[in-house]
Amino acid sequence: MADVLEVRNLSKSFDGIVVARNVDLALQSGRVLGLIGPNGAGKTSLFNLICGVVRPDAGTVLLDGAPLDGKKFHQRVRGGLSRTWQHTRLFPSLPVIDNLLIGTHDYPGAQLVNVLFGTARLKAHDKVARDKALGLLGKMGLAGVADDLVSDLPYGQQKLVGVARALMGDAKCLLLDEPMAGVEGQAYAAMQRVVREVAESGVAVCVVEHNIAFVHDLCDEGVFMFSGAIMARGSVAELTRDPQLTELYFGH
Amino acid sequence: MEYLYGIVIIVGLYVILATSFNLIIGYGGLVSIAHPVFFALGAYTSAILSRDFHVPVLLAMLAGFFVALVASIALALPSLRVSGDYLLIASIGFQLGVLELIKNVRFTGGPGGFTNIPPFLIREFGRESYVLLVLAVVAAVIVLVWWIARSDYGRAMSAMRDDELAFASVGRDAMWMKIAIFGLGSGLAGLAGGLYAHYFRFITPEQFEILQSSAILTMVVVGGMRTTWGPVVGALLLQALPQAISFLQLPPSVLGPIQGLLFTGLVLVFMFFRPQGLVSAKNVWRAAPAAKARGAR
Repeated sequence: MADVLEVRNLSKSFDGIVVARNVDLALQSGRVLGLIGPNGAGKTSLFNLICGVVRPDAGTVLLDGAPLDGKKFHQRVRGGLSRTWQHTRLFPSLPVIDNLLIGTHDYPGAQLVNVLFGTARLKAHDKVARDKALGLLGKMGLAGVADDLVSDLPYGQQKLVGVARALMGDAKCLLLDEPMAGVEGQAYAAMQRVVREVAESGVAVCVVEHNIAFVHDLCDEGVFMFSGAIMARGSVAELTRDPQLTELYFGH
Repeated sequence: MEYLYGIVIIVGLYVILATSFNLIIGYGGLVSIAHPVFFALGAYTSAILSRDFHVPVLLAMLAGFFVALVASIALALPSLRVSGDYLLIASIGFQLGVLELIKNVRFTGGPGGFTNIPPFLIREFGRESYVLLVLAVVAAVIVLVWWIARSDYGRAMSAMRDDELAFASVGRDAMWMKIAIFGLGSGLAGLAGGLYAHYFRFITPEQFEILQSSAILTMVVVGGMRTTWGPVVGALLLQALPQAISFLQLPPSVLGPIQGLLFTGLVLVFMFFRPQGLVSAKNVWRAAPAAKARGAR
């Protein structure tokens, strides 16, 4: 299976604190990789490095075989990389549906010239985007709250909106940062189902998650990170059974 | 009547300045104090082109719009690449620097001002026609900013102000959006400059000094940022205020500083007691129809 995202020899340290140590990682189309490890292991930092939010000291990231060096975050997203945030980072001044509409791959409304002279084009785009957004919200059981303000939703639903927003832009590779933190009940099942569906549609997914049951149920494979380095890769069951890794995870 | 026409035109031009500045600071979230200098660039460009190069006035005014637009992009491009704070710092330097330049080169008339600017419309159609022209431009600018704010672009501006990193994470480029907003807003100030120059037919650098920055800022803050009518109300009120003070018959040397204190005082008072301004904007992007119907705050 082709590697959608490839991380090669990535290193980064902040004032001597190493957050990534020669990290090599590959994500394949249609597979879900779980990234586990204790707090401070460098999981979110790795996401930030992949997205270009933080520049690496060394190493490179390839998307579909093309290096992303020098590309800005938003350009990488346009190229097919998508991510969610541990703390949702939704747009609180916008209703749920508008949080999604802003995330389409092509957003002609971002050019003033279209706003002034391309109303027909905007309308056509809006119709397609709206259908897509409502479809995604429906899958997540959020169709009824499409017009609510995101900040009025329970936290678990906000997390789902975050994932839905990340899926608006035709991603080839989806990075989920603790999608289950603060999520329970119906949202839990919806999250499982949606991420699985996304993977089955051919997207390469990587999940950072502390909820081991979720990782166990969802991920095809797991990677254990500690102190900026990848310690092991294997099935989630193998990783969680490994006494050495368990000790690293829980400390002494 | 001539006095009244003068006041209507001045107030109208300040509505344009405040509305365009609202686009920059309110909708774009960009802090700059250089708005009067773009007003000046438009006025000088239009005046010089029409008087010394015999360019038709209408074309000269449009050139004023474009010169202000291009100059603002030249200012914003390097500073916004660093961060929004640098735009403020750069705008201070730009405001002071360009005015110094105008004072010190010959073709602008120097500190004495630029005189004998060709009139427009008045000789052929009377002063009323010019008043109508200004009012038409005022209406067009208000509609333009309103239209942008409630369009797909407005949705994007709202998202960008909420969270720039999240804005990048959905594939949108905040920097170019800010540059476009700054460019258009500054261009409109330039257009107001041209309209000023060909009515009053005399411009001096000191008309565009930093007191004007605080006046325009006060209009937007006191009137209500991110609203259609806030800057209009603010401009009316703050133009009426100096007129009212002038009845006190204070000497001009006192009047200027008093105006400055008044503007600053008003901004402070409003920041403490009514930060949303006279006309208050909702925290929600206005064009969201369903949220409006539900009465969401």
